[in-house]
Amino acid sequence: MLVYTARRLAVAIPVLLAASVLVFLMVDLSGDPLADLRLQQPPPSEEVMAAAEARYYLDRSTPERYWLWMTGIGGNGDIGLLQGEFGPSVRGGAFDIGEQLASSITVTLRLVTAAIIAALGLAILSGVVSAMRQYSKLDYTLTFIGFLALAMPTFWLGALIKEGGLWFNQTTGTGFFYTIGANSARVSNMTNWEYFLDSAGHLVLPTVTLMLTSFASWSRYQRTSMLEVLNSDYVRLARAKGVPNRVVVRRHALRTALIPLVTVATIGVVGIIEGVVITETIFQWRGLGYFFIEAVKTNDAFAVMSWLMLSGTLVVLASLVADILYGVLDPRIRYE
Amino acid sequence: MQIRKKMLGAAAVGVSAVLALGACSPPQDEGNGGGGENSVTWIVNQPGGGWNHNSNEGGSVYVIQMLHGVLPVPGFWSPEGQWEWNTDLIVNTPELIEGDQVSWEYQINPDANWSDGEPISAEDFIWQWKMTSGDDEICAEGCNSRGSTLGSLIESVEGSDDGKTVTVTLKEDAQFPGWFTFGADGLYPAHVAVAEGIDLDTADGMLESSHFFNDAPLTISGAEYVFDGTPALDGRTVKVANEEYWGDTPDIGEIILEVNTEEGSWVPALTNGEVQGAAPASWSDDVITQLEGLENVEFGVDSGGSWEHLDVNMNNEALQDEALRHAIFNAIDVQNIADRTYGEKFPDITPRTNHVFSTSSEFHQDTITEHGHGAGDADAALELLEEAGYELNGDTLELDGEAVPALRLRYTAGHVAREIISELIQADLSEIGITAEIETTDDLGGTLAEADYDLMLFGWSTTPDFYGSPHQYWHSESGSNFGGLDVEEVDTLVDRTMNSSTPEESAEHANEAAALVAEQAYVLPIVDTPAFYFYDTSFIDGVTDNNAQSRRALWNQHEWTAVN
Repeated sequence: MLVYTARRLAVAIPVLLAASVLVFLMVDLSGDPLADLRLQQPPPSEEVMAAAEARYYLDRSTPERYWLWMTGIGGNGDIGLLQGEFGPSVRGGAFDIGEQLASSITVTLRLVTAAIIAALGLAILSGVVSAMRQYSKLDYTLTFIGFLALAMPTFWLGALIKEGGLWFNQTTGTGFFYTIGANSARVSNMTNWEYFLDSAGHLVLPTVTLMLTSFASWSRYQRTSMLEVLNSDYVRLARAKGVPNRVVVRRHALRTALIPLVTVATIGVVGIIEGVVITETIFQWRGLGYFFIEAVKTNDAFAVMSWLMLSGTLVVLASLVADILYGVLDPRIRYE
Repeated sequence: MQIRKKMLGAAAVGVSAVLALGACSPPQDEGNGGGGENSVTWIVNQPGGGWNHNSNEGGSVYVIQMLHGVLPVPGFWSPEGQWEWNTDLIVNTPELIEGDQVSWEYQINPDANWSDGEPISAEDFIWQWKMTSGDDEICAEGCNSRGSTLGSLIESVEGSDDGKTVTVTLKEDAQFPGWFTFGADGLYPAHVAVAEGIDLDTADGMLESSHFFNDAPLTISGAEYVFDGTPALDGRTVKVANEEYWGDTPDIGEIILEVNTEEGSWVPALTNGEVQGAAPASWSDDVITQLEGLENVEFGVDSGGSWEHLDVNMNNEALQDEALRHAIFNAIDVQNIADRTYGEKFPDITPRTNHVFSTSSEFHQDTITEHGHGAGDADAALELLEEAGYELNGDTLELDGEAVPALRLRYTAGHVAREIISELIQADLSEIGITAEIETTDDLGGTLAEADYDLMLFGWSTTPDFYGSPHQYWHSESGSNFGGLDVEEVDTLVDRTMNSSTPEESAEHANEAAALVAEQAYVLPIVDTPAFYFYDTSFIDGVTDNNAQSRRALWNQHEWTAVN
């Protein structure tokens, strides 16, 4: 297993290197990071423009900029991915790309973790029930809900869920659900319990939005997998031996049927992190999605490249983890 | 298998514990205390870029709104566009002192101190001048400053009476009608930079101080509010009443500015009590529709601080013919454009008829209508063209038997109003046989700088401080005269606009220049982009919008009162 993991990691290095070249070239060709500065009224002087070009390394050639971005050698100490420096932001020194990425990840992880836990739980429950009651009204109902959630665009789903939260607040005269932000402003004055309630109130609506999109596809996987196992020989044998149905389902069928979902979900986590862009925009969470949107809007080239490289790294890591998990969970798979 | 289970279980418990701890421990901020009493949350619709509003990154309306109430200001524009002095800070009424060189004097309130106890003094004015001087010998690399015409005209700023009297002197022969706007976006505490060991008497030191104030928010205040905790340019800024302020204490003890870029979330958040108002920098029919009919919500719509216009590229061979330019401007129906873009939610909108002044300005003169520009009169346009030797052959306009080449009409991708305007212009021009090919650009700055267009649709922002604008728009040596107008008389007039002694004299020259530009059919003003604001009347009272200032409705936040 260790050899396999090391081999996969070694393969990941050239993949990430190729990704870095592509990311750099695409972002580099996509526009002028100083476009807003050039448009200022009154226009900046030539000295200011020259200083800005030097600050953001725009006075260097493209290959030189790539080298700087990767290694930081020859830079001003604010650039070099391999040194943990993400480059200067066109939004000024107050915006440290590394720090912002770190705080964004923390916010997004909270949302994504809650959504994954909820989506997995619901997908397993719905998939198993659908499989056990195949072609029943319940199966059709759950299938319909799954496809509905799958077909509905996230921005529309988010808006509907937000309206639902508002309706609940207005009907009950409470303010439990919040529609913007991850927390209220004045949290430092709150007790732990108040803070917990505040966090939960902010978390529910975006979590439900994010959860529903993943739940839909995962529940279909779970249903198919469960059906396959329920119709397998060893389950039929267990039933023929008189093992109670509850035990057959819980101990024998479900465990095996969960294996494909675990790997699908591992890869799906990356999809959720990328899909969080829309949800975070709707609910104004300052996570990775918001980070990316703002970076694009402000032509912040190094910030966009950092986000893309982080996404690329997550994809590579997630596929590695999925393969390893498959080997761990399925005794039939052994890596040499 | 048993070990695996235990490991998985431990991992699950660990993840849960981390999440639970993260969710249950409120972060403790070392702030300036206060808050909680009469708190108002206000939306800022874009993030800021730096804490120094003079800098290229920080020079935005959003940063000025965040800093408002923390930085002391000598004066401000009223909603009616009249200049008013801040009598809390300046105890005299500054007036121009005529002499060999123009100068004026501020007398600072002796009680006016920063919240750390240091006096607000001439040093703070001196820093502001050096920052905006644009002189590399005073501040290296132009201080990374977004520049200021007034700053570049100042020869010296000197202090006397322990720094409580400030004398500003312009360079020899220099005049500037907007002299009173010096420091209007706010003064910074120079002593804080000095305490950091920065030498403000050197050009490099000044540049260092520019970055210093840009990179971190102020922890002290020289006005009614002070930042609490760590404000975030792209998140949340909390301002609480400054207990050390020498003037009246504001009724609203806490103002929270929440950056919120998603306009679809504003009204739900308003009705849910999460925010109490906003004065967005961008227009939205959808938001206004949502606001209509809401109880306890007041909203207003008026002409905003920017205007849309169509520019001609004078380097285009076909467009060098003045008759063709006039015909194009005659054929475009600006009232129709106004109605179809903003008219539904702002029925009072009218075409803009001056390049420098909006209709509501005391200096406004209609320089457009007499030329028939914007009238949408295809017959008049064709008549002009026929007189100049053009001929409409079917659907094609021809000159000497050759079709007039198609014109590239460009605008910023994703700008909904400009998309509509472009299509309407395209339709209007087709009536006189001119083909307009609509192209978008993702790089407005680059497209303008390279004059990579035949007709360009974009906007300029405007303030009552108009003195430098005509020079910037039309002077033959201006970097923002993108279409390449080169008329000596215009150059002279825009120079005079900037070098007049009074706003009235300056406006006279600006209007003369605008009339000449209209004669040249160089720029067709279209409309003042409208702006709107809204607030929850069950929370606050006393809110009025102010389109003459970047601060918009926040301009009088210290005068707002809490309801109940």
